[in-house]
Amino acid sequence: MLMAMTLNPAHNKNILIFLLTSIGLIVLPHVYHLQPALFGFFCVLLAWRFMGIWKPERLPKGPALLLLTLCGLIILYTQQRGIMGRDGGTSLFVIALGLKLMEIKSERDLYLVNYLAFVVAASQFLYEQSILMAAYILFVCCVLLATLVFINSYVAQTSTSLKKATLIIAQAIPMAIAVFILFPRVEAPKWLLFDDDRQNKMGLSDSMEPGSITDLGGSDELVFRVKFTGTIPPPHLRYWRGPVLTHTDGKKWTQASNLTQQSVLAQPVFSGTPYQYTLLMEPQNKNWVFGLDMPAKFSQSVRQNANYQLVTTDDLKQRTEYPLTSYASYNTGAITENEIQQARHLPAAPTYRLKQLVSQLHGFDNAPEDFIKHLLNHFRQEDFHYTLTPPLMEENPVETFLFETRYGFCSHYASAFVTLMRVANVPARVVTGYQGGELNPVGNFLEIRQAQAHAWAEVWLDKKGWVRVDPTAAIAPERIEKNIDINRLAANGLINYVNPSETAQAAFLWLQKTRQLWRNVDYNWQRWVINYNSVNQAGFLSSFGIADFKAMVYWMGIIIAIITAILSAFLFYQKPKSVDRTLLVYNRFLKKLAKVGLSKKAGEGARDFAERVKANIPEQASSIEQITVAFIDLRYGRKPTMEGLKRLSSLISGFKVSANSIN
Amino acid sequence: MKVFTLKDRFGLDRFFLGERRLDDKPLILNQRRIFILPTQRGFGFALLIVLLALIAFVYNNNLAYMLAFLLASIFFITILHTYKSLAGLTIQEGATVAAFAGESAGFGVYIDNPTSIERQHIQLKMKTVENFNLQMHTKTQLTLYEPTQKRGWHPAGKVTVSSTYPLGLFRAWSPIRFNAKALVYPKPVDQKIPFPESGATQNQQGQFKKGGDEFYDLQGYKAGDPIKHLHWKAYARGLGLFSKQYGAENSAEIWLDYGHTSGQSLEERLSYLCRWVVDAEQAGLSYGFVMPGLRLEPGNGSAHYRRCLEALASF
Repeated sequence: MLMAMTLNPAHNKNILIFLLTSIGLIVLPHVYHLQPALFGFFCVLLAWRFMGIWKPERLPKGPALLLLTLCGLIILYTQQRGIMGRDGGTSLFVIALGLKLMEIKSERDLYLVNYLAFVVAASQFLYEQSILMAAYILFVCCVLLATLVFINSYVAQTSTSLKKATLIIAQAIPMAIAVFILFPRVEAPKWLLFDDDRQNKMGLSDSMEPGSITDLGGSDELVFRVKFTGTIPPPHLRYWRGPVLTHTDGKKWTQASNLTQQSVLAQPVFSGTPYQYTLLMEPQNKNWVFGLDMPAKFSQSVRQNANYQLVTTDDLKQRTEYPLTSYASYNTGAITENEIQQARHLPAAPTYRLKQLVSQLHGFDNAPEDFIKHLLNHFRQEDFHYTLTPPLMEENPVETFLFETRYGFCSHYASAFVTLMRVANVPARVVTGYQGGELNPVGNFLEIRQAQAHAWAEVWLDKKGWVRVDPTAAIAPERIEKNIDINRLAANGLINYVNPSETAQAAFLWLQKTRQLWRNVDYNWQRWVINYNSVNQAGFLSSFGIADFKAMVYWMGIIIAIITAILSAFLFYQKPKSVDRTLLVYNRFLKKLAKVGLSKKAGEGARDFAERVKANIPEQASSIEQITVAFIDLRYGRKPTMEGLKRLSSLISGFKVSANSIN
Repeated sequence: MKVFTLKDRFGLDRFFLGERRLDDKPLILNQRRIFILPTQRGFGFALLIVLLALIAFVYNNNLAYMLAFLLASIFFITILHTYKSLAGLTIQEGATVAAFAGESAGFGVYIDNPTSIERQHIQLKMKTVENFNLQMHTKTQLTLYEPTQKRGWHPAGKVTVSSTYPLGLFRAWSPIRFNAKALVYPKPVDQKIPFPESGATQNQQGQFKKGGDEFYDLQGYKAGDPIKHLHWKAYARGLGLFSKQYGAENSAEIWLDYGHTSGQSLEERLSYLCRWVVDAEQAGLSYGFVMPGLRLEPGNGSAHYRRCLEALASF
């Protein structure tokens, strides 16, 4: 594919194919983010332009172009209602890019299209910031730059253009990283942030209605990661506290309405091992921080509500880090009468069946601790089942579950448990959050995913305060104890309770290891690249003694200068020609002889000089002859080789001459 | 050799008019001679970087920052690459190609790439532009043409070597003022005019030649010349009547004399004379050339032709 660029590059087929392909690649991932009509419109424009490479007369002109522009504007308006914000801005740039494609007339237009494509590439990052996306965009940037190289070449070749573009990007990366680390970060003021509704993120809500759910989709989406300094709590203690649901209408469980006004009588008393950890929250739309039960120390931006749940004032749409300390054993102490009332509240007087069950389990005559034990045994021994796809229980869900269906997941067990406790006049409530967390042994951190959302119960016992009881553990202990994400595995059909063969097991292990490794890379990517902000930067740089703005700029300048110097040396270093190297080596021979007073005269040939030297040092005649022959062969022979040069070099190194050997 | 003074080195005219050559040695393009500035597209690219940085700032998006920084680094590194596409080349003036006034005079340029870096898309510009690639360790010769108007010596003026490779964001260029001058001959008058008759008859000083029937020379037609000796081809071209001189005939030349031209002004008369010279050379005649202060014995061939034209140009 060789051609001289004598014509307008805007009519060059190869340039256009190159550019349009890279634009297609750039916009492709937006298929998930843009309105279908908008994306479709862009695709039509791109396809049209592609066709126009071969049939330029079919491209829209004049009124047709105007009509297309109008079409674009209408689509933009009806689909997006505005051009502000992330989605609006992205749509605007994509439509502008598509329309500009129709009007590539000169080299200038090619550049404009190219630059617009870079903006669209950047907009991808507003939706996804994974390593894969970064790698993909980097690749497309190579192609875009190659288009520019292509335009500026006299004899353009696809492969050389791509190579050149890749080389330039590879050379630019170290400097970009240095700037990334050192460029002083300033967080944008809040008013500048466009309020985009996050796509409805799955997650915990502030209410729970077990009877109305028939399929708890186990999403693999990451919620947060936890890195412990020191010991990691065992799986059965990994309860991550979320909203506490005290109020119920019989079907739906919600947080207490007067939560914010509730006063706390006593601060919890902690004992045992403290767990120190950093919580890295993924973006979410609630301001909850899922501390390990029970959080004791937390940073300034976090506060604890009366239900011991951590909430924050930070914008959780960004990934945020929280340093926390929790204790597994605690005593919350006394609570107010009001709270006790609320925790005993039932929407209606208990039915006869409920009362009978409670009295059968000694709820009315024994201590609450015994009742709990009996109740858990009841779940364990009777025909209760754990399932993610329970039947619908619309009317009176608790009783339906307890006496009829007996199939349910954590919410069913927790709500039934709390209801029975309340029937026995024991203060109890439902706590939601996450349970478990998969340990990534490579990075030594826990990953908590959406599928690990959980609900358990808390019972208030005299002198002990709020005590956690997990009725699900009674029915499906493997979910709690073994830290196997049984929900997800079962949901994905990965568990079949048949002993797998050894090779399958090895393959599974290998798969697991690769996955863990990848997740570790991803964790560090999130932590050090995506989440690198002014606070992180200050912390990171101060460990190098770079404390303030001035020092950052200063060091940035220095590092850029160093990189430039290295790069220049690399770019402008000239390999000496092989002929020159031959001469350099031969000069060593001449130097040795010059030391003993035998120097080559100007204009004297190597051969004549050798004869003269041989006459002076007859005992070295053979080696002088060898050297001279090798030199002449290299210097004037047909094909100088590296081997020949090496041989000459070693011959000369072995050549020794002393002053007293001269005749 | 004259050394550059500080004034020479930092003078603005080096930037605008090009570097004055002090000798004819090859000129090496180095950091003192290569200028680099962003092109319009380069400024556009800078604007793009600012826009990306702004997006990154507003959305607090680190990867968008990264992209902006990457493009900024590319922008910066392109300076080195663009510089590299010219650095180390040597430029030397070549021979000039003379022209008639109104046509384009040529200036030869030798460009040598003594390095082991292949050069892509170098542009050599005078009035006309030459684009080329240069392989490693190769030398190329180009001729740039510049239109001329006036008779006399035409200075080459500024020659600019430039390149925007690889990305077109920066333009590296080196303006050089060439010493070469191309000779511009007078413009021959448009219409064909007959040779001066007198020139042929007045000077009968040719030598007596011996020989057979071989064609020897052309001579202006004289009454009595055998009609079969007429040079019909010349007549057909409107050059007038000539007799072919054969064998032992005494050959006589035509004389092209400034004094016989019929123009009003000096330039006009030179144009007439020039026409005669061109026609006589084309017709393959032996012609003598007379101008005030110069007299060239009859002859023909390119050397003689050039001497006549040079005399006309520098008169």
